[in-house]
Order: sequence, then C-alpha cells, then structure tokens
Amino acid sequence: MRIFENTNFDFLGKRKIAYIVSGVLLVFGLLSLLFKGIEFGIDFKGGTEIALEFEKPIEVGDARDYLGGLGLGNIEVKTFGGETGLLIRSELQEIPADLFPSVLERVETLISKNFPDLTYQITDTTSSSVTYSISDPLLVGPLTDKLTNSGFQAIRFNQEENNSKLIVRVGIADWIQENLLEYMPDNKFKVLKEDNVGPKVGGELKRDATIAVLLALVVMLIYLGFRFKFVFALGAVAALFHDVLITLGIFSILYNVIPGLNLEISVNVVAAFLTLVGYSINDTVIVFDRIRENIKIHKTAPLEDNINKAINKTIPRTIITSLTTLIVVAVLLFFGGEVLRGFAFTLFFGVVIGTYSSIFVASPFVLEYASKVKKNIQF
Amino acid sequence: MKEFRFRIILILGAVALSLYLLYPTYADSQNTITIQSQLERFRDSLQTANPNLSDDDLVRLVNLKEDEIYADKPDFRTAKEKRVKLGLDLQGGMYLVMEVNTAKLLEKLAKDPDQRFLELLGEAEQQAKIEEVNLVSILAEKLQQNNIRLSRYFGSIRQDDADIIDDLQEQESDAVTRAIEIIRNRVDQYGVSEPSIQKQGARRIIVELPGISKEEDAKRLLQGSALLEFKIVKESELTIQIMNSIDTKLAESLKSSTDTTLSDDTTSAEDMTQEEFAREHPFYAIAMINPQSPFADAFVRESDRPKLEAYLARPEIKNIIPDNVEFAFSAKPASVEGGENIFRLFLLNKKAELTGGVIVDAQSNIDPQTTAPIVNMQMNAEGAREWARITGANIQKRCAIVLDGVVYSAPTIQNKIPGGSSVIEGIGDLEEAKLLEIVLKAGALPAPVDIIEERTVGPSLGQDSISQGLNSLIIGFVIVAIFMIFYYVKAGTIADLALFFTVLFIMGILAGFNATLTLPGIAGIILTIGMAVDANVIIYERIREELATGKTVRAAIDSGYSNSYSAIFDSNITTFFTGVILYQFGSGPVQGFALTLMIGIACSLFAALVVTRIVFDLMAAKGMKVNLG
Repeated sequence: MRIFENTNFDFLGKRKIAYIVSGVLLVFGLLSLLFKGIEFGIDFKGGTEIALEFEKPIEVGDARDYLGGLGLGNIEVKTFGGETGLLIRSELQEIPADLFPSVLERVETLISKNFPDLTYQITDTTSSSVTYSISDPLLVGPLTDKLTNSGFQAIRFNQEENNSKLIVRVGIADWIQENLLEYMPDNKFKVLKEDNVGPKVGGELKRDATIAVLLALVVMLIYLGFRFKFVFALGAVAALFHDVLITLGIFSILYNVIPGLNLEISVNVVAAFLTLVGYSINDTVIVFDRIRENIKIHKTAPLEDNINKAINKTIPRTIITSLTTLIVVAVLLFFGGEVLRGFAFTLFFGVVIGTYSSIFVASPFVLEYASKVKKNIQF
Repeated sequence: MKEFRFRIILILGAVALSLYLLYPTYADSQNTITIQSQLERFRDSLQTANPNLSDDDLVRLVNLKEDEIYADKPDFRTAKEKRVKLGLDLQGGMYLVMEVNTAKLLEKLAKDPDQRFLELLGEAEQQAKIEEVNLVSILAEKLQQNNIRLSRYFGSIRQDDADIIDDLQEQESDAVTRAIEIIRNRVDQYGVSEPSIQKQGARRIIVELPGISKEEDAKRLLQGSALLEFKIVKESELTIQIMNSIDTKLAESLKSSTDTTLSDDTTSAEDMTQEEFAREHPFYAIAMINPQSPFADAFVRESDRPKLEAYLARPEIKNIIPDNVEFAFSAKPASVEGGENIFRLFLLNKKAELTGGVIVDAQSNIDPQTTAPIVNMQMNAEGAREWARITGANIQKRCAIVLDGVVYSAPTIQNKIPGGSSVIEGIGDLEEAKLLEIVLKAGALPAPVDIIEERTVGPSLGQDSISQGLNSLIIGFVIVAIFMIFYYVKAGTIADLALFFTVLFIMGILAGFNATLTLPGIAGIILTIGMAVDANVIIYERIREELATGKTVRAAIDSGYSNSYSAIFDSNITTFFTGVILYQFGSGPVQGFALTLMIGIACSLFAALVVTRIVFDLMAAKGMKVNLG
C-alpha cells in the first residue's frame, strides 16, 4: 500500500497560508499566556496534593464546599480517575498560623479525654509540629499510640527511658484527612498518593526546567550548525521555538476547558516538552538531509524547487512515522492512566505541530533567509 | 553465507543475553506468586491460632516469615536481586528530600545566645529562604554589620571570623553526614528492601523507601533524635552458657515442629554432615563462634540474619534468655566472606550504663606516637563522674557504643577514666574512627533535619500504573505492528520483528544495568515503539524510490540503506541529546523516562540497521522476492 506516491505538491508556494496559520496560533497562544496565564502543578508551585480513593462514589461539589470551609485558603478539589477518586490540592505547605490554635485544641482535647489527670506543656513548636512535655514519662508510649490512632502523627522525642516528650506533627495533608474522616465517617478512604513540595524545591525545579529546555535548543543549534549550514540550524531551532510556544499556548487556552484533563505544567509535562523538541528536530533533520542531498545533485536548480522536491520525497516517511507515533501517544492518552495524561496530551499535540512545522516553518525559514541575503545556499 | 555469519552470531548473542538477563525477572514474578500464597496460608494459620493478634503484630510476623523464606532459598534471593527494578511510582513507596536546618544547628552551637543573636538569626533565616546564599554567610554578615565578632558566639576568642565561618560550614556538612548515618542505620534495622539514601549538594539528603506506604512508620524512622548508649558486653562464660541453652532448646523445638523439612535432600556426604550439624545445633549453624578468640561474639552471615532474628523472637527462646541481657548486631560487617557480609553478634547488658546526652564533643585523630587512629571523647561534669565509676568497676571488660540498637564499637576498658576525657583505641582505620566520631556526636548534637519534599505513592496506585502501562504497551505494539504489515506487507513483518527485538533489548539492558523502571520509563518504551519504526520507514521508502529507478532488488536494498544512514543518524543523535539533557534535569521517574528513551534509540538503531538488514540480505541471497507492498 502506498500513500502520497510521487506527490508533487508546491509546499513552499503555500507558505503564506502557513504563515497565517502559525501566526494566528502564536498570537492566540501568546495572548492566552499573557492574560489567562499558565497553570503550574505542585511540582513547581510547591504545596500539598493528595489523591484519595473512597469506598463509595463521592460528590465532588460537596467535598469542595466542606474542604473550602476549613480555613486552609484556596483548596482545589477534582475527581481522580473514576468517581470514587478525589484529588485535593492546596498551595500551602503548612498549617496557617491562625488555624494552628484549633489544631492544638483538637490534640489537647484528645489528651484530656484519654488521660484526664495528665498535665502537659508545650516545649517547642515549629510550623508543622508541636512538642509536648508531659508529667508522666510512662504515659508517653500509650499517648502517642492514642494520638496516632486518631489521625495525628505522634512520635516519642527519643528512645530514652525517662523521655517525657512527644512530637505531634500536623501537615496540611494530615489535617485534611483528619477532617474528612470526621465529615464522612461511613465512607472510608485510602491514600493513593500524597505529595508535599516546599516552595524552594519548586522554585529550583522551575529554574532547572527552563534551563533544560533552553539548553536543549542550544545543543540542537550547535549540532545542526556542525552538520548543516548554520542557516539550517537556525531554521530548525526557529521551528522548535514555534512548536514549544504554540503547545504552551494550547496548554493555556485549553486549561479548565476539557473536563477530566488536568492541563498544568508538571515535571512529566516538561519531560514531554523536551521529547517534543527531540521529535520535532528529528522530522526537520530528515527533510533537511534530503534538501542537502538534492542541492548536491541539482546544483543549478533553484533552491525553492530543491526544497519542494525534498519535502515531497520525504512526505510518505513523515506521515507514516507521525502516524505510528500518534498511535502510541493516543494509546497512552486513553489507556495510560491519570498520571501520564498530561504527558501524553503534550506529546500528542507536539507531534502534530512538530510534523507541521518541519514542513511549513523550518524549510520556508531557510528559503526566506536565502532570498533575503540573495546568496546561494551551499554545503 | 559466510559474510553474514558474524552479524547472525551478534544478533543471536544479543537475543540470548537479553533473555538471560530477563530470566530472573520472570523467575521472581513466579516466586512471588508462590511466596504470596505461602504467606497467605501462614497469615490464616496465625489468625486462627491467636485471634486477638493486633494488625501490627500480624504484619510484623508475616514479614519475618517472608524474610525467612528468602533466607532459606538463595535462588529466590538472587532472582529478586537481579530482576528489573521498579521505581517508587510503580511499586509504591516514599521519596523524601531532607535538608539540614542550619538555623537550629547554629542556635544549638552558639555559646549563651542572647535575644539580639536570636533576632539576627531569625532575620538571616528569612533572607536565606529567598536568596541562594548560605545561611552561615548571611548570619556572619549580619553580625559584622552590628559590629559583633563571631567569636562572641562561636569558636574561641583567638579565631578570626573567616576561620569560624569555615568551622561552622564544616559543622553543617558534618550534620548531614550524621543524619545520613542515623537514617541509614534505622532503615537497615527497619528492613526496608532496596532503600536508597544519598547526599545531594552540601545540605540535602534524598531518601527513597520502596514499599513503605505507612507514612507514620516512615517518619518515625527518620525523625526524632538518635539514642546513643554505652552498654557493658557480657563476659564470655555467661554468653556461651546462654547461647548453649538457646541452641539446645531450639534444636528441641525445631525437631518437634513439622515445618523443618524445608531443605531439599542433597547427596554429598559432606553436605549431609553439615545438615546434620544444622539439625543438632540450629543456633550455632548460623551464629558461628571463633574458639580461638577470647570473646564469645558470634558471627552471622547477612543472609542468615532474618533467620536468626526469627529464632530469637520465638516465645520459647525469649523465655530462656535472661531479662537483663539482649543480643545486638554490629553496625558494620566484621568481615566479608565469599562476597557476603558477616556481622558480629554481641550479648549486652540490657540496661545502659550511660546515654549519649552527656557527650560534649568527639574528635577522630591519629595518635602521634603510634600513628594508629583514635577517637577523643569529652563528657560533661555529670557524665564524667558516672564514667569514672563505670570504667572503674568494669576494667578489662568491653563497653559497647550502641546507636539506635546496633553496636558501632566495643573497646576494652583499660583503666578507670576520671575527668571525662577518654581516648578510644583499637580502631581499624581512620574511616572507622570518623564514623565513631559521627556516632558519638549524634548523641550530643542531633542533626536537625527538615523534610522539604515528600512524595508517597500507595501500593494500589502503583499496581494500577503497572497494569495501565503494560496494557498501553501491548495495545500500542499491536496497532503499530498491524499497521506496518498492512502498509509494507512482508517488509512490514520484518520491521515488526525488529520492533519486537527493540523492546526485548531495552528490557534486557534495563535488567543488565540494574536500572529502575518507572511509569514514565514505560511511557518511554511505548513512545519508542512509535518512533522506532522510523528508521525502517526511512529505509523502506528509500528502497522503494531506488526500485522505482529500475535498480535490481539487491542494489536497491544496498543503496536504500546507504542513502538513509545520514538522515537516520542525524535525527536520532538529536533526539538522544534531548534524552541526555532530560536525564540531567530530571529526578526519579523522569530520569527513568530519559533512560528508556536513550536505550530505546540505541536499540532501535541496532534492530533497524542490523536485524532487518540481515533478513533482507538473506532473502536476497536466497533469491526470494522482497515485498515492500
């Protein structure tokens, strides 16, 4: 079977249309990036995220209303996987200061309920834990067990026999789970995953991700500069910028538009962006390789003809490889599960846009450059 | 045919090697099924035997049993060690990034800190959160701005500020080392399989705990200060006596119980006697004693440890061990035999003579006279008094230095030590001395660490991810394979063969290099399936073109391949570069993706350029028709 056999399509002649298409996509994408912005996941923003799996189906709206009233600020609540899954996210990493007293109150109620005669005092507090010193060292063990069973994470200060201190930890995730237990005692849940990322880590990651993507572009520029004429390297990298920006724009435009698709930038999505860079350059290189070959064979033919011929010769390969890649990416998108969805979505769009750009952006760039400097492109 | 021989051998070798490397993974999955059913039965029998057993105890006993099964079957163990490792996102577990809290450390180190100091420290801490500058430097700058010399709070009066800053930064890095040692020690004792503890940069520690999903447990493992104790080692006579009675009792109770026929019958006479010995003396068979040594310490192979612990946990054995003593292992292996670590087993007084809070400072050094490594240890006044009494009463006995339950060193007390300043001698090398310094300081100066990043994946999500990943892999493979056959007919089948080999090689390499497979890693393999056909497509399209110019099949194949090389290499190398960058940038799961992507590129190139080529060459040599659809 064959498709596009001996095509002779004037790709470059239609480049003006492509400029309009790319331009529109870029402008809309950039406008959306500017005004709607882009949503970063907790990998980059820092914060707390938990995914819970309940025994019975759960009403997201109710959970959202309830959790919103906890005083933890802005809490995002979404479904995770099916209708028994819940994804809860807070931008906070630790319990806010004004909430801390009520957390302490709950701990202390538990202490006096279980051990009415016990006296205690707070010896140290940090943003996520409080250290109690209690009057009877022998009760440290039983008390930690009681607190742990009630949802708080309590540990002995140390293992010494006469230790009278215990540390009670309270994180956002603990507090949310503790309250959900109380809110829905007859719908038990188990924790599918729990992430807690400090603001510093997120900031560093953002920096690293930007560096990684830029570095990838520079490395491509250098390698292709070696292997091809520099203008080809520029064309290829221009196409990459085009791809990355448009895909980012699409992320921004479609965020919160398609239900069930969490389009936010996570570490996995950055990995997908880098892969997209690799994939798109792959396509472009194949076309450029053919142009190089054609220029060698048909030295006197105009550059435009050579480029057109190269695109036409490679178009079956371009389409087939894009198709097989799209197939697997689509499989990932539909069967790969919640964790990989953003990754698969990025690649799906990236492959389409990367294929388009290797034909309609990278090659026209070379042509425009050549006609501007009125020089013959040679190798 | 001769011209093909080398390549055929190469391909067959690669396939055989991949299968060989993947066999343990297969064997392990089979073993796991067997073990799980055994454990299931064991759990049921436990529950029927004592219905009010708490969940925690049940889990603990079942885990002990599992360790015992692995200890008994070395081939189960090797399969487990050599299988393809699964990342935390697939098997569930915890990933933690911890950072030493320098502010807390400085507060502890400061000599009589006043209000002014604490204020400045607080300001410096806020600033360090925003800037990428070390807290020590910021604090130093702040103190200088306020015309306070650093020696007011740190170091000695003779030191200048630069010296003190260096010292403090060293203390910071020491604190990380200390924290790592404590964490490693606890993780080892807790029995987490395949943990990973790494230092990152100057102040960070990355801990990976596969299979741990109970967060409280993990945090208990990592937080809280370490307990340093000094305990007297029991005299040899008494130790031997206790060990003898354990041995006898154990032989008795093992004989009476039925599940002793675990080991298969062997034929060699030597083995028979060994087995007989093991039956008569089950304790001494795994806890070996050196009759020449003045000490009654037993030596236990690492693989026998779980078994020994299970023996000691038996109720009838617990009964005959006196209440005032306990067994403790050495922290580091005493020797290595046949590639396996051998640990020392001590019998100690249960009651600690002294705990680590009394230690003020410890310093590893080289003794100027003997050039042997030593550790100097200083105690506070209260500790010094006690220490003088203890050392006076136990001359020529050994005093074990125990951190969180394991023995780091057991030097012999030579004479009474007054004044609280002692020297520990008889240390193997400087590295060991440094370790002892860390351990001694752990009691004095707990390393304050904060958890700054924490990711937990529950086992059920991991299981879902595995099945979704594998399903996607199979579905993706089948659709692409069918498409290729549909489009290129016979040549498509050959490309599919190459595709199959590609996946096989990727998995083989992952197993061979002990790499970790993560969910993004599986995604990388799936993506490779889509992209790996590219090289073949390029070649096939080129061959079609060459055939269209009227070349013979043989010539078309030759020029089809040779004209495709530059395009294939350039395009794959650029993708490979992104893989390298991604590997550098990413952590954990993303690195797994980058790894499979890079391995995938290499494997698919090999498969397309060597495997499919040889099939074509063979077909052409035999005069078969090459059908490109």
